[in-house]
Amino acid sequence: MLLLSAPFEPSAAAPARRPAGAFAPVVGTVAVVAAGGLGLEWLGAGPAGLGHALASGVVHGGWLALGWLLALGGAPGWRAPVLRLGSAMITAALVARLGPLGPLAFLLVPVVLLVEARGRPRLRTIGLAGARPLHALTGLVLGAFLGAHLLVTASRTFGYRLQGGGLSAYLGALAYDVGANALTAEWLFRGAVFSLLWRRVTFWPAALLATGLSLLRYLLDPALPHAAEARVGAVFYLGLVGLIACALRAWSGSLVPGYLAALGFFAAYRLLAP
Amino acid sequence: MIALPVAFLLAVAVAMAAADPGPASVLRHLYLVPTLWAALARGAVGGGSIGALAGLLHAPVALPAVERHGLTSATLDGLLSLGLPVVAGLLVGCLVDGSRARAARLAAVLAIQRRLDGTGALDDKLLGVAAELRAALGARRLALLLGADVRTAQVVSVPVGTLVDVDSAAAFALASGQRVSSLDLREDPRVRADEPPEPTPVRALALPLVSGVGVVGVMAVEWSGELSHSTRAAADELALHVGLAVENARLTLRQLRFAEELAEKVAAATARLRELDQAKSEFLSVVSHELRTPLTALQGFSELLLRSALPADKAHRCLVYLHTEACALGRVVAELLDLSRIEIGRPLELRPEQVDLDDLMERNVELFAAEHREHRFRWTSAGAAVALRADPDALDRMVKNLLSNAVKYSPRGGQVSLSACPAEDLPGMVELAVEDDGVGIPPDQLARIFDKYARVPHPETTATRGLGLGLSLVKALAEAHGGRVEVDSLPGKGSRFRLLLPAVDRDF
Repeated sequence: MLLLSAPFEPSAAAPARRPAGAFAPVVGTVAVVAAGGLGLEWLGAGPAGLGHALASGVVHGGWLALGWLLALGGAPGWRAPVLRLGSAMITAALVARLGPLGPLAFLLVPVVLLVEARGRPRLRTIGLAGARPLHALTGLVLGAFLGAHLLVTASRTFGYRLQGGGLSAYLGALAYDVGANALTAEWLFRGAVFSLLWRRVTFWPAALLATGLSLLRYLLDPALPHAAEARVGAVFYLGLVGLIACALRAWSGSLVPGYLAALGFFAAYRLLAP
Repeated sequence: MIALPVAFLLAVAVAMAAADPGPASVLRHLYLVPTLWAALARGAVGGGSIGALAGLLHAPVALPAVERHGLTSATLDGLLSLGLPVVAGLLVGCLVDGSRARAARLAAVLAIQRRLDGTGALDDKLLGVAAELRAALGARRLALLLGADVRTAQVVSVPVGTLVDVDSAAAFALASGQRVSSLDLREDPRVRADEPPEPTPVRALALPLVSGVGVVGVMAVEWSGELSHSTRAAADELALHVGLAVENARLTLRQLRFAEELAEKVAAATARLRELDQAKSEFLSVVSHELRTPLTALQGFSELLLRSALPADKAHRCLVYLHTEACALGRVVAELLDLSRIEIGRPLELRPEQVDLDDLMERNVELFAAEHREHRFRWTSAGAAVALRADPDALDRMVKNLLSNAVKYSPRGGQVSLSACPAEDLPGMVELAVEDDGVGIPPDQLARIFDKYARVPHPETTATRGLGLGLSLVKALAEAHGGRVEVDSLPGKGSRFRLLLPAVDRDF
């Protein structure tokens, strides 16, 4: 019991643990590479979609890198794992363009992340830990419920139907969610941002801020449909998914239930076609 | 408990879907029933969740109407129905949570009071109090540190193996009277913790326990995860109560202990008074007997002399008896006078002079040897080395009492040894020792044999006469001379009395 057993210094101040110097190169690199990718696409240089893939990969890799830096406080030796994570994400994004089953390459990204996280117990502080079956099942059920609700509401309200794009396209989209979309959202917003905030303030401010940042990320995503109802729907459902994921993270101590909730939701969302 | 509201909610949703009357259906109001039910059963979390679920279930009905008809009064009403259950569930749930928290706090206070009121050791009671507090606050760990100083404080309900650091947060709270609050103990820069951080923050509070006399302890509490404002407020209130309750319990225990000690003292004093009363009664009986016996002899022999014309030898024998009994009566009266002086605190009148110890001792030995032929008396003189200045009468009474005592408690005869020599262990003092091989004195009686009226019962000495004053007089006379009397005894082996008196150059 630390209140009794650990020495206490009432006037001690927190040491500076997060040098801005670690963030600048990451953000700079992501910006440059993403701009390069979009430039390539705009100029029409190279195969179609390559520039977009590069930009998407580097941005998602950037989210992973930011989460890594926030969680470990820019400790020495951050460059190599961040570089490997970013490379894995970019590679998966590029491979995804090669064929209908190419997006399955995204499934390797969580594996790379787990390998990099091995031997770093401090990552437990952001919830990189196993979850109990009950917690995992709860996350999955809640995500699936919200996804099903989205399907019903969208079809009744806007007349959306289930897409008939084929199984490979659906699996590709799911793989993207598993390895990039849901993974980076959980890793950065529920893992790093929410976990760090929750240690300094109570649950609701931390959850609202983390969810707000994750919504901002989606709203700024150029790939999101621009229709007003789609944006309102995104704010509503992704806001709910975000808050539920924060609650699951707090309840279970793990990122896994929230990750499964997001996957459950996106698994339904990917079935929808305007 | 939450399953029934959920089932009710789903039933309403199914009914609405089956009837399909649109967003303005009166059935939508039924969503409030399971929402309020859940709020009453599970508070804000239950009410908010079921309310949100109700809103979500109503959305596929309300939103298409908005899309089809735009914002009309009916569609607006439908939209309001989306949010109303959430708001109602949260509001009612918050009120329920608040009242439950207050009830739980009151229950905890009563439970703590019951624990402290119960019988048993204070340590056990405090363990129970800590358990009640931990349950009431939903804490992961809770410990009580009771006392003004952390080094000597009593620690209650601490995990096994925990050592209290004198510079810990709890010690700081105890010394300063300030509360310590931490949102995450393992990441708190003020706490030098070696343990690795956990996925959930460890919230912690160290609250001083205050009573009328100041800080009497600290309540240290750790939670894993969220710590609500109401829980924090409850911890503050309970700490305030525990400080007073523990202090009250301590005072009550102290009072009980004091009352018990007082009762013991009163009982002992009463027993002593009874003992004294009995001793007085016995004393009166003994005195009467001691006075009557020689008086009877005096009356008898004097009447015999008056009424009969006895031959000269018989008349002489009667006169000897008369003299002996008159001397015995005189001794009793002298002892009673001395006792009276001692009782009223008047100093004994002594006339010290150089005493011929050999003469005094030899005279007494001859006297006792003549009266007690079954005993053997041995007198060992130290000769000129022993010079004593004392009141000869008082010294004579002391020697006679010691010899009389030795004879009385050697009922089967035996040897009585007397000696006089300079005390080896006490320079400047003369030791007169009287030793017998009689019944001896049990160790538990040694302390009281110099008390007035004290007589040590022994099956072989029940017929022995005496007032129980001899040894107390010896003690008083010895102390009046500036000396003292000591005894060594073994039951069944005999006793040795040492009369220690100042040597000749000592002033009284």
